[in-house]
Amino acid sequence: MPIKTILVIEDDRFIGEMYVRSLKKAGYEVDWMVGGNDGLVAARNKQYDLLLIDIMLPERRGNEIMDALRGKEDLIPESKIIVITNFEQDEESRMAMERGADAYLIKAEITPKKLLDVIEKLG
Amino acid sequence: MGLDSEQNKTAPKPLMRDFWSKYRMRMYVIVTAAQCAFVLTAFGLMWVTGIMHLDWLAFILISLLSAALLNIMTIPLIYAQSRQFRDLVHAVVHVSNEPNAVKPPNPNSYESRHDGFKEILQTIYERGADKAETETKEEKAPTKGEEIEDGVVNMASGLAIFNGKDELIYANPRAPIRTDSKTKKETLDLIFPDDDSLETWIADVRENEIRAEREWTRISNKLPGEKERHIYDITVSYHKDRRAEVVVTLFDRTTLYTPEEDELDFISFAAHELRGPITVIRGYLDVISDELDKDLSDDQKELMSRLIVSASRLSSYVNNILNASRYDRKHLKLHLSESKMRDIYDTISDDMQMRASAQNRILVAEIPKSLPTVAADPNAVGEVLSNLIDNAIKYSNEGGLVHVTAKATPGFVEVSVIDRGIGMPESVVRNLFHKFYRSHRSRETVAGTGIGLYISKAIIGSHGGTIQARSIENDGSTFSFTLPIYDTVAEKLKSSDNSNEALIEHGSGWIRNHSMYRG
Repeated sequence: MPIKTILVIEDDRFIGEMYVRSLKKAGYEVDWMVGGNDGLVAARNKQYDLLLIDIMLPERRGNEIMDALRGKEDLIPESKIIVITNFEQDEESRMAMERGADAYLIKAEITPKKLLDVIEKLG
Repeated sequence: MGLDSEQNKTAPKPLMRDFWSKYRMRMYVIVTAAQCAFVLTAFGLMWVTGIMHLDWLAFILISLLSAALLNIMTIPLIYAQSRQFRDLVHAVVHVSNEPNAVKPPNPNSYESRHDGFKEILQTIYERGADKAETETKEEKAPTKGEEIEDGVVNMASGLAIFNGKDELIYANPRAPIRTDSKTKKETLDLIFPDDDSLETWIADVRENEIRAEREWTRISNKLPGEKERHIYDITVSYHKDRRAEVVVTLFDRTTLYTPEEDELDFISFAAHELRGPITVIRGYLDVISDELDKDLSDDQKELMSRLIVSASRLSSYVNNILNASRYDRKHLKLHLSESKMRDIYDTISDDMQMRASAQNRILVAEIPKSLPTVAADPNAVGEVLSNLIDNAIKYSNEGGLVHVTAKATPGFVEVSVIDRGIGMPESVVRNLFHKFYRSHRSRETVAGTGIGLYISKAIIGSHGGTIQARSIENDGSTFSFTLPIYDTVAEKLKSSDNSNEALIEHGSGWIRNHSMYRG
């Protein structure tokens, strides 16, 4: 199933805006949430094709969002998940992989262009 | 209950001088009990059979009276007969130097008996005197060896001595020693670097040398964060076929090195902080160059690509520093998954192509899609590959070709990065993978930190693969690394939830490190 709608949950405004801008330009329908709580609410209210989740988030960590979403089984199986972090060695980031993220990327390495490539492959 | 057994364990050693009174008490009790039993049985029988006619009160009174009489008669007898035994005990207590209020028995008081007891006592006293004499003699003049040993026990450094069979002959209290769980041999309890352990060095000098010495710095017995961790500088001397073939001296430098460990923490922290702005710089450069693509002149595009290349290099350096600091603190952890070498290359290919063209090199990668999948941490292997390609770009000539190839070998996929650049002499190749090593020539001509190959080797080694360099001066270099084919290690990985412990067979710091990090 091709990816059309994307939810970005990222607290750094510079980084969030950077991804949102290039994703929109590439033709995706993008929503962006800054906090973990808002992100979870948004993900529950609408069925996105892809969730782009930062690990280190205020209020609610990326892993917690994934856990909470998994509780509602109707949501997770159809949404792809990409986890982004700059702390890839942290135990938290490691766990994200085991929680069934489809990709796991280091922000400093994943420029918007590369992100588009990854999303295209996932779709 | 627990308290009781505790007290039993710590109860003081019984004293010899107490033996006699306990023995005597036991004897009286036994004899009295036996007499009472005898009297009661005898009178009881007489009463029952009707030989004696008594009422019960008279029976008890007569029994008790008889028993008491018997007892009074036997006590002096027992006392007289056990006197010799008492003196024997007191004589032994006396020669043992145990404090005793009782005067030692005098052998002469047995003079008239002629039964040999006087001689027994005399012998005990003579032997006791002999022993005391030799003891005082030894205290006065200890042997040279004892003096030396006393000094070695008290010295501030650790000392461990091994024979030609790697058996521990001696270790002083400061030397950390453990018993190897497999071989049951006593060895030094130290964590050496994977590729540079004491064992491998000894094996090497045993083959090639008669005498050798070397030093290691900053070798610790425990992992960071563990209790009672000591960090040592050690010197080892080897002398073939000597009784003490290997002598290890350990200098405890824990207080000296611990602050540096904190610094390492700081480096890792600082590198993390750098990653935020780097993410933004790289990302927005990407966005801008895309959006301005039509408006920029060729010149400006060239400038833009230099910006992009530099930002991507900066990111690589930070990755290397982060990984090296983690590796040095034994915190580097890889998450292995089934990966295609081609996919790993694709994630860095744009950056690498840009780096090559910014410096007028031609980068050609031929990584077949049909290669078997490998067990790899894609991010970490991507960093290794970009380190190797970046080096090839730096050390090749203007317009030169950098060639990346990959092939399957038994059990492994081998990736090679080949350049036709300046090459290196053998002496340089040997030291390439050491930390901060940069050849004299490269220091003058090429920017770099000397950390890329060090961490590349660490990462590949942690995958259970190998990395090597071949080079001919002025003809170029080939760097190759191998990664295990996924199918060959899939079972092992499943049993260790995709971490890399299972892939590394030998017992080294790495494995211990990983199990610790996993908590």
